[in-house]
Amino acid sequence: MNQNQLDEMQTQRKNNIGNQSFLLLMYMLMIDGGLYGFGFRWIDYPANIMIIVTICAGIYLIRLINSNAYVGPSMENRRPVLRVMLTVAMTVAIAAGIVVLLRHASFTNTAQLNEMSAPIMFITGAIAIIIALVTLIIRKSQ
Amino acid sequence: MGKNLKLKSARAALDMSQKDIADAVGVTRQTINAIENGDYNPTIKLCIAICKVLNKTLNDIFWEDDNNESKPVG
Repeated sequence: MNQNQLDEMQTQRKNNIGNQSFLLLMYMLMIDGGLYGFGFRWIDYPANIMIIVTICAGIYLIRLINSNAYVGPSMENRRPVLRVMLTVAMTVAIAAGIVVLLRHASFTNTAQLNEMSAPIMFITGAIAIIIALVTLIIRKSQ
Repeated sequence: MGKNLKLKSARAALDMSQKDIADAVGVTRQTINAIENGDYNPTIKLCIAICKVLNKTLNDIFWEDDNNESKPVG
């Protein structure tokens, strides 16, 4: 058993999906770079990178859950109600925060979008780290 | 890889469900199901754990003879 408590088939599937997702990310970034080289700019930097990474991470997560490689056998029998509720609450808070942030920001041109992309990325990353820390603390306490 | 009917029959003989074996050896029910259907090739460690739960030897459960041998596709 590894740290994630996944069994051997789950670990194998997770590695397989991870490799494929990494290749997908690389190809999408290469296509994005190629399009930029040909003069086609579908969205400005850094939003393009953020969107591509988010899509690939989403595909990775959905495929993991779909192939039953996200939680291990020991976790399936547990009912981590507190952790789930906390995660849902924090996710709603993040979504609400970003919506409020976007409402107060008026995107009349692409320059303003560029200015807002960095704070959104920073806030999202910071909150993700906080969620991970809180989850770790709860796991230790249980 | 063909279906592992020996595992299925040994499990049925002990009146155990896939979930029972899975819990006993510490894997998910889907893993046991994949082994029975021939979709997953387990490690020797997991094979031994399954055999111990079913009170069988590795030959009894996992040895492929002429009657239960996987046929190549095509």
